[in-house]
Amino acid sequence: MDFRFSEEQEFFRNQVKDAIDRLVRPRIVDIDRSGDFPRDLWDEFAALGYLGLRHPAVHGGLDADTTTSMIFFEELARGSSGFFMAVTAQMLMGTYFINRFGSDGIKQRVLEPAIRGEKIGAICFTESQSGSDLAGVRTTATRDGDEWVLHGTKEWITNGPICDFATILATTDPKAGLKGLSWFLAENGTPGFQRGQKMEKLGTRGAVTGELVLDHVRVPAENLLGEPGKGVRYVTDILNEIRVMTGLAACSIADEALRDAKDYARRREAFGKPISEYQLIREKFGRCWAQREAARTFLYRVSWMIDQGLPCQREAMAAKWVASEMCLDAVDEATRVYAGNGFTPEYPAERFFRDARFLLSGGGTHEVLLDYLGRSYLRQ
Amino acid sequence: MKIVVLVKQVPDPEARVSVGGDGGPGALQVEDRWCTSYFDEVALEAALALRQRHGGEVVAVTAGSGKAVDALRRALAFGADRVLQLDDPALAAADGLGVAAALAAFVRREQPDLVLAGRQALDDEAGLVGPAVAERLGWPHAADAVALEVEPAAKRARVERTVDGGREVLELPLPALVTAQKGLAVPRVPQVTGVMKAMRAKIDKLDLAALGLPAADVEPRTAVLGYRPPPARKPVRMVAGDFPENVRTLAALLRDEAKVL
Repeated sequence: MDFRFSEEQEFFRNQVKDAIDRLVRPRIVDIDRSGDFPRDLWDEFAALGYLGLRHPAVHGGLDADTTTSMIFFEELARGSSGFFMAVTAQMLMGTYFINRFGSDGIKQRVLEPAIRGEKIGAICFTESQSGSDLAGVRTTATRDGDEWVLHGTKEWITNGPICDFATILATTDPKAGLKGLSWFLAENGTPGFQRGQKMEKLGTRGAVTGELVLDHVRVPAENLLGEPGKGVRYVTDILNEIRVMTGLAACSIADEALRDAKDYARRREAFGKPISEYQLIREKFGRCWAQREAARTFLYRVSWMIDQGLPCQREAMAAKWVASEMCLDAVDEATRVYAGNGFTPEYPAERFFRDARFLLSGGGTHEVLLDYLGRSYLRQ
Repeated sequence: MKIVVLVKQVPDPEARVSVGGDGGPGALQVEDRWCTSYFDEVALEAALALRQRHGGEVVAVTAGSGKAVDALRRALAFGADRVLQLDDPALAAADGLGVAAALAAFVRREQPDLVLAGRQALDDEAGLVGPAVAERLGWPHAADAVALEVEPAAKRARVERTVDGGREVLELPLPALVTAQKGLAVPRVPQVTGVMKAMRAKIDKLDLAALGLPAADVEPRTAVLGYRPPPARKPVRMVAGDFPENVRTLAALLRDEAKVL
């Protein structure tokens, strides 16, 4: 057993860190304040090739394994949380089913430009009455000759207002519940494909989120990605990665918030000495650091399990939950270290606090995850 | 045209550095965060620009073990054609002149048209190794270049360096050694294809025997006796009282005590 990253992985991490430090970090505050998608940064970042990290070399990707990808996601999340969301919605989620099931024509038309950053993608699970509960999906896909007709409204779609294409979860058999769900590709410009306005959000600003209306959108038969009715089974495969990625984002947000609060605690004096010298302040850092180390080790273990092809659905859920709760605690403690100054955008603590809230729903709500984990534990 | 670039892995400028216990030769404590020395990256970028203009080959070399190899991987990620690590137990104790002796032996073996190096390393900031390599080789040398043009056919290089009041323009015959100042080139953010290639590359090593260099040539001629932390900053003194009395007090302190007025 060896818990160290290899020299090569460490080198890779440092190079990603360098790219994020130089391109993304100087833009964090502006992206958060404006809430606008930074297209120029996207183009600059895409030119470095990272959007193709997980995809096959034959389509312009790099065939990286899960752990290498996770190292990338962890470092990416140290920059702007909004930019992190936009990038991962494209490279991990928006293109996943296209890469796995798309025809050569679709891959050339959609995947390859997406890897180059020329086209922006989104993934569409959520609807007004259905989030973690996928059985509630009401968007329909009806076969009509050589075409499928997609009809419904998707909500909370990251990159939705700016997407060039979207992978859509729709039901091909409404009576079959979860076993009637299937994945489809729909492209902007197709009649009935309507991108909604950008929503205002508490955090992860800069990743533009909005509604996507599919008003009888007709797509060719080949736009069905995978077999009909197997949509949920396919989701399980990608969810493990989404959860590890989300958990590592939690670790990075926590780490950045704690490091920033540490600098503040060393500078800020109360009653004649820096507040970092008081036990109650030290306890916050000690506890949060310990919890972060535990969560991160757990997450990389799950990443390793994915690379080994081991079943890890429960572990991925659990690790995501552990990391997200740890992060929510850490960003809360960071604002307490700042006291009144944690209540103003003049200092970064409140931004970490706002950004971390996305962890409560990203990759499944904690209520749903814990209910599943509890049921599964009791069944054994 | 063949260019050798000298590179060094140094502690990250954000790494915490402190002086421990006895202040002796082993008292310097450096956090385990590393990067390639900035000016070496400038030199590497300049070398790649020359390769693009004139063709040829860029070879990066470093002297050292452990993390030193990451400077070479970084050079590969930038686009260097070849990299070599000079790794020998004798180099662990070497000072700047010893490192320069090893690098000069490597340069002699490679016979490039030009050697580029950073003006100084970000850690010791000695600015010694580049010029010392040139001295060992008996080559002309220009320091702190902010512009560099090469005419390979004429075997000539033109260097501009910043001096008081303007720029000095130098011409030197090739082969020569030039050290890079900020402004000569802007180091790139490497593309991930380069990063992945560098990550998987096998890095070749040479020891002193392979270079034909006796260990005595890299023996240190200077000895580190110890380290001292910078003096602690004096505490801030707040001037009490209401305006304008407090300003009068401040002015008096600046005049009589600090003697800056």
